[in-house]
Amino acid sequence: MPPNRRCAVPSEGTNLSRRSQQTIRNRILGALPPTEFAALAQSLAPVELVLGETLHRAGEPIDYLFFPETGFISALAVLSDDNPIEIGLIGAEGVAGVSVILGATASYCETMCQTGGPAHRLAVGEFKEMVARSPVLHDLLLRYVHVFQVQVSQTAACNAHHDVSQRLARWLLAAHDRSGSPELSLTQDLIAVMLGVRRATVSVAAGVLQKAGVIRYQHGHIKIVDRPGLENAARECYQSVAAEYRRMLGIDPAVVAAATLALPAA
Amino acid sequence: MAKNPKAVDLPANRLLGLLTPRDYNRLRPHLGRVPLEYKKSLYEADKKIEFVYFIETGVGSLVNTMANGQAAEVGTIGNEGLVGVPIVLGDDRAPTSIYIQVPGDGLRMPAVLFKKELARSATMQVVMLRYVHALFNQVAQSAACNHFHSLEQRCCRWLLMTRDRMQSDEFLLTQEFLAMMLGVQRPGVSIAAGGLQRAGLITYKRGNVTILDGAGLKKRSCECYGISKREFDRLLSD
Repeated sequence: MPPNRRCAVPSEGTNLSRRSQQTIRNRILGALPPTEFAALAQSLAPVELVLGETLHRAGEPIDYLFFPETGFISALAVLSDDNPIEIGLIGAEGVAGVSVILGATASYCETMCQTGGPAHRLAVGEFKEMVARSPVLHDLLLRYVHVFQVQVSQTAACNAHHDVSQRLARWLLAAHDRSGSPELSLTQDLIAVMLGVRRATVSVAAGVLQKAGVIRYQHGHIKIVDRPGLENAARECYQSVAAEYRRMLGIDPAVVAAATLALPAA
Repeated sequence: MAKNPKAVDLPANRLLGLLTPRDYNRLRPHLGRVPLEYKKSLYEADKKIEFVYFIETGVGSLVNTMANGQAAEVGTIGNEGLVGVPIVLGDDRAPTSIYIQVPGDGLRMPAVLFKKELARSATMQVVMLRYVHALFNQVAQSAACNHFHSLEQRCCRWLLMTRDRMQSDEFLLTQEFLAMMLGVQRPGVSIAAGGLQRAGLITYKRGNVTILDGAGLKKRSCECYGISKREFDRLLSD
């Protein structure tokens, strides 16, 4: 195991089984029928995700699934020459470790925490037992896998066709939805890695969006000033994915972000 | 193509071949043979998926269409797979479409019946979900490949993937389709294909591709060909 792999460690939070499902911000856990949730809750360990932490490595076995409560995790495709590129974002609407849901043991992508924050961790062995007993849980997770994949294929198409400012706009919207904060504090370096471009290219793209009056960009900090304008800049790459989340999961990514902010701290 | 009469009962679609005899026999009465003509749409974005298809020959393209009508291929499906992955995941539609880009034929059955059979067989679910995983791996790979790799590399990858699916060094492929699959304009394809022809790796005349030097194509292809192939081979080998 690489030395830099820190497995999110259980935090000192209350055991979930003693907390009501209403306080759960993760939408998948929140959508489970109460009896299913009660059964699953005993296997969920509260953990604190750390910025920059790698949860799963491409091609390596998955030990845990992670259900974020706030913030977001990047799914990355890694090529052998070590250039990763982001293929999707996972926030409170989802779960990291989709390969396991499909019955695979090894992850097809890398997952890395873009923000720190609380999450629920589920060991794969317990997950398999739960899924075998609960078709409702499996169905719900497969629906999530479907919308996640819609996001990944849209990203693949967007990477082939769209310029960097459009791709940056799409990324900012997805990140905004999941972070729940209009003030995204992201470094140019990080965005460059996500989009698979040079730092200077990010500056140029951010400059284009700033000139269009949709973001403010200063010292690596991005603030969204005109959300509809930004959605316009991202074109269908954002819209079609957001529509799929609404249709399949009954959730609006933007509303999830707002709800996450409105909930009292656990 | 003449078929070995003894092999008639064995599915030519390799995913069907992975099913237990019991699962396969449950699907068989519902499967009907259909020709898969060039450009045939197997399902359309945001419309109800009526049939699932098991391609036997030919190649289908999983396509995202942009607002301006430009289409980008994000994955391909051939005799190793299933057209109708959203059904396996519990949906009846998706914002992507599937078009036949290399003609052939295959089997199809109503999506509702497939869904019903899938729900009653855990062993069938395991096989189908493993395929979904291999396909996702391919799409994720495309996301990286579309961005990082040159048109020529991607063109080589695409030709090799098609050859594997067709199990033939010769196939029909229009420039229009190749352009769409690679997300470029037609002149871009002419340049890439011309380069491969001059290098003696392929001939390409009136939409007919002949691969002359597969090893040479592999050398010019990006790593993505090997990675996707490995994933599907793994799926289909155990």
